[in-house]
Amino acid sequence: MTTPDYPSESKAYPGQKPRPRGRDVSRWFLPFKRDVSYWGFVLNRVAGLGLVLYLLLHMVALSQLLGGEAGWDRFIDLTTSPVFLTLDVILLAGIIGHGLNGLRVALVGSGLLVKWQRQLFYVLMTIAVVLLIIGGILIFTA
Amino acid sequence: MREVTNTQKRGTLTWIGQAVSGVLLLGLLGLHMIAHHFIVEGGLRNYQQVLDYVGNPVIVAIEIVFLIVVTFHAMVGLRSVILDIGLMAKQEKTVTRVLTVLGLVIVVYGIFLALTLFSRAA
Repeated sequence: MTTPDYPSESKAYPGQKPRPRGRDVSRWFLPFKRDVSYWGFVLNRVAGLGLVLYLLLHMVALSQLLGGEAGWDRFIDLTTSPVFLTLDVILLAGIIGHGLNGLRVALVGSGLLVKWQRQLFYVLMTIAVVLLIIGGILIFTA
Repeated sequence: MREVTNTQKRGTLTWIGQAVSGVLLLGLLGLHMIAHHFIVEGGLRNYQQVLDYVGNPVIVAIEIVFLIVVTFHAMVGLRSVILDIGLMAKQEKTVTRVLTVLGLVIVVYGIFLALTLFSRAA
């Protein structure tokens, strides 16, 4: 008898449908035998980790406000550079993608629209792309 | 009938907390992005505009609620990713404690920052 190399259910959320996983995170990106909901899972995790990192950086950036007008306004000048604006677009992509995909996860996890989760993923990601284009234009033209 | 353990009950509550905070964030983060970036000329408030904005106690209250919800969501999400990698029970407890402390530090620092700016605006 062989023992599976991953736990039979999520330890973070016991009772949830088990997903193939292991100690090696690179397995998230193996493209074999993956359906769209799996890629949704990977998208949510990668974007979520990026957003946690951003939360920490955002708190550090906001500490510039404690330095008063000179410190904050100098920081604002930095944020208008094309490199910073590009990072803003990447951040917006993470927020919109994680938010809308997370909404799908919450709905499906609650037992709603389970049969249509694939279609739901495509619809929400289409909305995400449209919002990202609008946001990207606003970021570069505001 | 399958027995439901305390760990499973906690896991389900965590999942519900993560889902509810996520739905709340759709509104709070949307509001934050619009108020701080999309309706502001240049995409970011200058120092005086920040003080004008946080001078309103209702805004400060909303920002603090936003901070608490986003930090909770981030720390619970990070914990679930780390736990799914596969850890020993003792390591899991350590991860939970470290992330709880990190979350509290972020919230306390954020509230200090918000109240400091509020007092400067007054």
